[in-house]
Amino acid sequence: MKSGTTSRSLIPPQRKFFGLTAGLILVALLAVFPFVVSNRFYIRLLNEMFIYGLLAMSLDVLLGFTGLLSFMHTSYLGIAAYIAGLVLKHGPQKSLWLALLVGVLATQVIAVPVGWVQVRTGGLPFALLTLAFGMMYFTVVWKWYGVTGGDDGLMGIPQPDLSLFGWVLGNSGNPVLTYLFTLFIVVICFLVTYRIIRSPFGAVLESIRENEERAAFIGINVRRYKLLGWTLACLLASVAGVLFILYKGYIGPTTMDPFAGAAVLMMVLLGGMGSLWGAFIGAGLFIFMQDYISTMTEHWEIFVGLIVVLLVIFLPRGFAGLVDRLRNGEKG
Amino acid sequence: MGALLYTKDLRKNFGGLLAVNNANVSIEDRELRSIIGPNGAGKTTFINLITGRYPASGGNIFFQGRDITNQPIHALVRLGICRTFQITSIFLGLSVFENVRMARQSCLGGSLRIFSSKARLKEVNETTWALLEKIGLQEKADQPAKNLAHGDQRLLEVGLALAGDPKILILDEPTAGMSPTETNQIADLVRQLNRDLNLPVVLIEHDMEMVMAISDRITVFHQGSMIAEGSPKEIQENKFVKEAYLGETDG
Repeated sequence: MKSGTTSRSLIPPQRKFFGLTAGLILVALLAVFPFVVSNRFYIRLLNEMFIYGLLAMSLDVLLGFTGLLSFMHTSYLGIAAYIAGLVLKHGPQKSLWLALLVGVLATQVIAVPVGWVQVRTGGLPFALLTLAFGMMYFTVVWKWYGVTGGDDGLMGIPQPDLSLFGWVLGNSGNPVLTYLFTLFIVVICFLVTYRIIRSPFGAVLESIRENEERAAFIGINVRRYKLLGWTLACLLASVAGVLFILYKGYIGPTTMDPFAGAAVLMMVLLGGMGSLWGAFIGAGLFIFMQDYISTMTEHWEIFVGLIVVLLVIFLPRGFAGLVDRLRNGEKG
Repeated sequence: MGALLYTKDLRKNFGGLLAVNNANVSIEDRELRSIIGPNGAGKTTFINLITGRYPASGGNIFFQGRDITNQPIHALVRLGICRTFQITSIFLGLSVFENVRMARQSCLGGSLRIFSSKARLKEVNETTWALLEKIGLQEKADQPAKNLAHGDQRLLEVGLALAGDPKILILDEPTAGMSPTETNQIADLVRQLNRDLNLPVVLIEHDMEMVMAISDRITVFHQGSMIAEGSPKEIQENKFVKEAYLGETDG
């Protein structure tokens, strides 16, 4: 199919095939899961993992592919969740797709100008700006009682009907339906992002990660591409935000606090930067640990923190790095 | 006005330090120009100014008749002003092929295609292989750039500069840290690019033997100012240059 000399991908075909097969099997298993295990608790737990997996993947686009660190990436999940929640609550109709559209676009109205300011810097200053903006967002949702509900959060959000291409599937109050819908959207987002990362555009982002100055000196408008990478990351985060409101029916300021920001960062580190799929593993691990340990002690953060410290020391490239190492070990 | 690139009273100060003092340098099309001078003379600052790495404190830079002072780096690269650095600057985590491919993509366009595969940019891939052959790294195309020997990394960086379809190639000490064999290899490549492809080259170099052998003209910097300019022969005989740079005085 491919002419050997002009298309040298860094991924060998057999590995691609393996990844595709594993991915298909995993998605198929996840799709039948709610029909096999009817325990709503586990369905909801997995649902949350999908959403945070999507958020962690969006941060990986920024951190693992563009080389930009955002401390408060949950902000954009939160903003989209608030906006979508407000649309559902006060909008003309309880329309899921209207909430999705407005939630995602209105988040970009905030994210793009902020990104425009942030990409004037790089490295640590960039990271600090994400923290500064994140704290501002947090304060706004916390204090703007009339709109956001302040520290009570946004309550009384109606459950919209889920529909695909005009075909009504049922109400989002049904956890199995919401689970399947979330899985569907997340898989689509993953595939689109995977495609983008392997595109000429993705290659530009990687070159900026590798060496920003050299990227400029081969003629790349670095700020422009950083802003595009940032926007892509915020778009994906806002999709996660709409899925979040659908799943939870509630959003409060703690979802956007610095702890939440750090948690997503840990998910990416646990999963391994620069692989996209690793972010889902990281999110799954983190949420599992958080959930499991919090049933045993209310000081679960300490233990989760310790485990993350150990994992980062012994698995510096995360889960994706471990898989790479095992695979290369097998070969040679 | 026939000059390809010239500067008019170009100045750069860092705080109180005047790094480049009213430089008026004019580079003709097709010429191989070397810039020499002791350490701290302002050579690298000068080319950092003309390649847009630093904003100028005063004066102007003209390229092909238009004022390009303080344009962004990527815009200057698009005009064909391509360079290498004193300290190698390549994409260490990418393969040799991907390094050059990226630079070719940036030059030929297609970077905004977000849904197509980068392997599909046919012209980019083909010209990448041609360029790798030219710099002699085609055998190492699949290797990560970080695994290359120092000399090959320097060579790859020249490849990155060439991938921008330069109208002028600026090389900052390309032979730094290289063995004599590798130095000759670079000298041959520079000469070949200049003579066979008529590519104008600006070269900062400490290897005097190489400078004298391959340059058309030489510009000498000393303490931020241009103190002499001429053919290798003229420079070798210039009294000021001997005093300032070669450390000799007329007996």
